[in-house]
Amino acid sequence: MPMHALKDALSFGDLPASERIGFAIFIAFCLVFPWISKGSFAQAVMIQFLIFCLYGLGWNLIGGYGGQVALGQAKNVGMSAYTVALFMVWWDVPFWFSTPIGVIIATVESFILGYFLLRLKGHYFAIATICVSLVWQQLFVNWDLIGGARGVELPLKETPNFVYMQFTSPIYYHYFAFVLVMGAILFMNWFRKSRLGYQLRAISANEEVAESLGINIHWVKVKAYCITGVFAGMGGAFYAVYYNYIDPFSVMHLELSIMIALMTMIGGAGSMWGPIIGAMILIPMDRYLGAWLGGSGIVGVDFMIYAFMVMVIAAYEPRGIWGIIEKARRRR
Amino acid sequence: MALLEVIGLTKKFVGVVANDRISFEIEKGEIVGLIGPNGAGKTTLFNCIVGYHKPDQGTVKFNGKPITGFKPFQTNRAGIGRTFQIMSISGSLSVSENVMVGSFCRVSDSRTARQEAAEILNLMELEQEAQARMNELPIAAQKRVGLAMALATKPKILMLDEVAAGLNPRETEEMVALLQKIHAAKDLTLFVTEHVMEVVMPISQRIIVLDGGQKIAEGKPRDIANDERVIRAYLGEKYVEGRKH
Repeated sequence: MPMHALKDALSFGDLPASERIGFAIFIAFCLVFPWISKGSFAQAVMIQFLIFCLYGLGWNLIGGYGGQVALGQAKNVGMSAYTVALFMVWWDVPFWFSTPIGVIIATVESFILGYFLLRLKGHYFAIATICVSLVWQQLFVNWDLIGGARGVELPLKETPNFVYMQFTSPIYYHYFAFVLVMGAILFMNWFRKSRLGYQLRAISANEEVAESLGINIHWVKVKAYCITGVFAGMGGAFYAVYYNYIDPFSVMHLELSIMIALMTMIGGAGSMWGPIIGAMILIPMDRYLGAWLGGSGIVGVDFMIYAFMVMVIAAYEPRGIWGIIEKARRRR
Repeated sequence: MALLEVIGLTKKFVGVVANDRISFEIEKGEIVGLIGPNGAGKTTLFNCIVGYHKPDQGTVKFNGKPITGFKPFQTNRAGIGRTFQIMSISGSLSVSENVMVGSFCRVSDSRTARQEAAEILNLMELEQEAQARMNELPIAAQKRVGLAMALATKPKILMLDEVAAGLNPRETEEMVALLQKIHAAKDLTLFVTEHVMEVVMPISQRIIVLDGGQKIAEGKPRDIANDERVIRAYLGEKYVEGRKH
């Protein structure tokens, strides 16, 4: 069994050649990017892109394959990020020890929350996740012990330090994020061929029929929601050491949750590459537009552009950009 | 010991008694038909046995063990398979993947599941359609896929809801042949609810008739066809009176 799982994760043989070539180009691009890119802004955008790939790939499990619109990933990102940051501030715990703890906290929270909220269906589930996110957000903003609205600054070590994941050059962060994303892609590649993957897709298509096929729909959803929490937790831990500063508005905010869901939907929820395509479009657009418009004092135009994109894509093909690609391929 | 026992099952909805103290047994290997006019309570009875509804009173036993109030996935794991009138898990899955989902009820390895799905598609004469999407198929093929999905969960008894609804006479005939084939091949017990008499009459060894939520008759197809209460339920009082003269 484990051998088979590993083989499933590493084998992309069932995909069309065009997808495999696209994936190879993606890998090659990520590998050489730090050497060809000019300027730290581009490199920062690239790392952002990789983090969002990780979030999106994870959200795709519950939101895409599972069809449950969860809008609370930020709280899991935040919990893990805060764990890593506070453990270092309080007890000088290195990244590699605090990260597993942060991920476990994020996962346990997902389990408890998912166990209760996943009894709700459709919009009610989405609304409930928003409510819980807002509660967590307010809690973190007002909780002085963990920095409140001021956030937490991670103490800097004197020399670059692998144990604390502190480096002077962004190149290390870039490759570390890249490794995380590759791990996530391989996991998803296993997942889409696994029992859990098929059962989840059956649930999202028709719960009544899925139930009649011996699927414990509640339990399968809870499992998927927990895995989504793991991905968010890893992203959050990385975020903390990459920025060396976190606050409730950057890692706990509902805006982040919505961004993750939106990005995946635009790219194509429930498909292997959808989250990556979504991140590829939205993240650079967001950062460059933000940098460009931020200076001129126009606020909110970027959100108008997202909204417009979502409307156009949803009207044309609800399965996002990947849906459009697949449609074109089937027609041929 | 009967495979499926229903004892005094009652299900009330607001203002309506959909099932009123219904009792019957199904032996292993039998093919039993369940008929009745619209609103007789057939689908409610099905849903009570399978677990979509919780009966208000009565017991359902499967293999001698009570399964009353089980959830649908639990009754399925116990060995009760069911098909729906419209069985679409279309979504992003192909026909063979749909059948795999059924196999995953008993196996966790995707290779075994794929193999089992291929065998069942073979049996159901669906090899050609294996890679198609559900919504690209004609209704007759969709019904067969639904059957294949339920079969993949390796049920001991298969409950078929209106398996011939929407089929033309030739397709209905093929469906009957197919049901007889899987009954023989898989050592199955079949419990069939149906409007179309061309399906129920030839394959059922025994027929249960519901009307107004009550069981009004039970017996061999030939006896049922001549039973006065059944004719009255289906064709009305006047027809029965007319026949007497």
